[in-house]
Amino acid sequence: MRSPILLLALTLLLPAQARAAGAVLVMNSSAASLSVVDMATQKEIRRIPVLREPHHWTMEPDGAALLVGDTVGNEILFLDPVTFELKRRLPISDPYQLGFSPDRKYLVVNGIARNQIDVYDAKTYTLVKRFPASTMPSHLDFTPDGGTVFVTLQGTGKVTAIDLRKMEVIWTAPTGKAPAGVMLQNGKLLVANMGEDNVSILDPATGKLLGRITTGKGAHQLFRSPDGKLIYVNNRIDSTSVALDATTLAAKRTYKLPGGPDDMEFAPDGHIWFTMRFAHKLAVLDPATGTFTTIDVGRSPHGIFLNPKAVASK
Amino acid sequence: MIPILDSAAGWLQETVLYPLLYALDLMQWEDVSFGWALFAVYGLVQVIVTFAVCLPLERWRPVETWPDQRAVLVDVLYTLISRVGLLPLITFVLFYKLQVALDGFLTDHGWVPPTLERIFPFLLGMPVLTFFLYAVILDFSDYWRHRLSHVFNWWYSLHAVHHAQRQMTFWSDDRNHLLDDIIGFIWFTAVALLIGIPPMQFPLLVLLLRFLESLSHANTRLSFGWLGERLLISPRFHRAHHGVTAAGLDSVNYGAIFPWWDMLFRTADFSAEYVQTGDPTAEEALATGSYAAQQWVALRRMVRDIFGRGGKEERKKAVLF
Ligand SMILES: [Zn+2]
Ligand SMILES: [Zn+2]
Repeated sequence: MRSPILLLALTLLLPAQARAAGAVLVMNSSAASLSVVDMATQKEIRRIPVLREPHHWTMEPDGAALLVGDTVGNEILFLDPVTFELKRRLPISDPYQLGFSPDRKYLVVNGIARNQIDVYDAKTYTLVKRFPASTMPSHLDFTPDGGTVFVTLQGTGKVTAIDLRKMEVIWTAPTGKAPAGVMLQNGKLLVANMGEDNVSILDPATGKLLGRITTGKGAHQLFRSPDGKLIYVNNRIDSTSVALDATTLAAKRTYKLPGGPDDMEFAPDGHIWFTMRFAHKLAVLDPATGTFTTIDVGRSPHGIFLNPKAVASK
Repeated sequence: MIPILDSAAGWLQETVLYPLLYALDLMQWEDVSFGWALFAVYGLVQVIVTFAVCLPLERWRPVETWPDQRAVLVDVLYTLISRVGLLPLITFVLFYKLQVALDGFLTDHGWVPPTLERIFPFLLGMPVLTFFLYAVILDFSDYWRHRLSHVFNWWYSLHAVHHAQRQMTFWSDDRNHLLDDIIGFIWFTAVALLIGIPPMQFPLLVLLLRFLESLSHANTRLSFGWLGERLLISPRFHRAHHGVTAAGLDSVNYGAIFPWWDMLFRTADFSAEYVQTGDPTAEEALATGSYAAQQWVALRRMVRDIFGRGGKEERKKAVLF
């Protein structure tokens, strides 16, 4: 006589399944875990244990695997981007920020604690060249042809450009205190200076400083909106996210997000998902209204990966 | 409990630490600073919990009562320095830098630092068991660190600060010479490197272990019974280590959490007595002096030991008379 209860349970479950609209993977840097969050119900469904300190991710060029770097654990985890199933673990020295060159030749891995920029072969994951970096290589971006990678040096207030064809440093230039996010935009290099309140604009060919835009104290990360029209700058001290016009770089709107907004992802419904480092939550912002809801995740959430096709099953 | 403490650490980071780092041009350390915030918050809770449990115990069933308890005050200072403020910061910076340097060196030579979970992958989904295994290994290594600090004269000169206290209470756990603490950190770091200890992954469990260590110093008649005494270290067990007859180079009960190593290496004393504590061979300043006096006198004694000017002889004389 358990069937009526079963039926009831099924009917309760069905609508939730029908609404399923993807899942989000969050790197809890101080909890040694990854949170899987269901986008429809906005609830954490499960946690995947990792070794030590997961921070950032990148996607294999063919989309086969999502790579998550565990810095203190010295390994990269290869996950299925849809089910988040762990497929492979690869020992790699201090993987903080990582990214594939657009020409699919190399994987560049910044070791922020070990002051090294490592270039790996994107197919075999063997180390091609290690560039000692003074100091604390943090974020990175590439030229569209994959010929050059730009890396911020958080410890010394500089940016360095590395030629991946000749495997040599092209230039290293000052930008501002504790630079973090870096992005090549309309032929200019934008660098968020976390120890200051601004984003500097550099000439990507020479590293020459061309100007600065004030965004807020603790300018940390830069993100491009899916339509390419906006650049979001997250400011850690002011706890704000500022939307800049991608062409003019003029500030269009400021969102106040208490709790330390760090990384972000754009959902197909227009909402923006932020990791909140201090609050140990995600914030889901409606950029049209400026209102947001929060979701509990693990300690010090850093990287965030959103996939509308992913399934947040147990 | 955990969410509240984590929120407190987050609050400390957002409202105190970050603005401070920003003002001091140290924002490049923003990522690392959260560890310190966690350390400080959990340290403070540790002190409060220990206080709330141990104080009633000491009032209820004291081993000794003292008319004048001024000698206890300096131990309170030791505790606050060690668990809440300065020391977590120093440990953190020191541990971080040392670990990164050594890890980097090893990885560059093709050797990825091992971790228990990499050797035994089934541990990954079992945080409590993992922590327990790490705690057992750490406790074992700490048994030997402590035992060796009773073997070498120069080292015991520092460790004598811990033993000199005649009014031993739950505050006495952190009563250590700074240099002795630093040696302890280096020891810990070496072991951490060998087995890849995650320092801040289990803050609540670390809190529990530190609580047990404080409790083992409490001035209270508390034994865990025949079996309990052989599973965890009780106030009675550790008191035997602090006994006047056990001070110096030939002691018993060196363990901190588990009595197993003392049992294994035949240094355990399970007698039912509650002995008098203190080190009769130690200078009076080590027992009743100020924080600075204790630090200085122990350091001087260590230097004399190393350069062979009478440290050992002085101590022998003190025993004879
Ligand atoms: Zn001792
Ligand atoms: Zn003791």
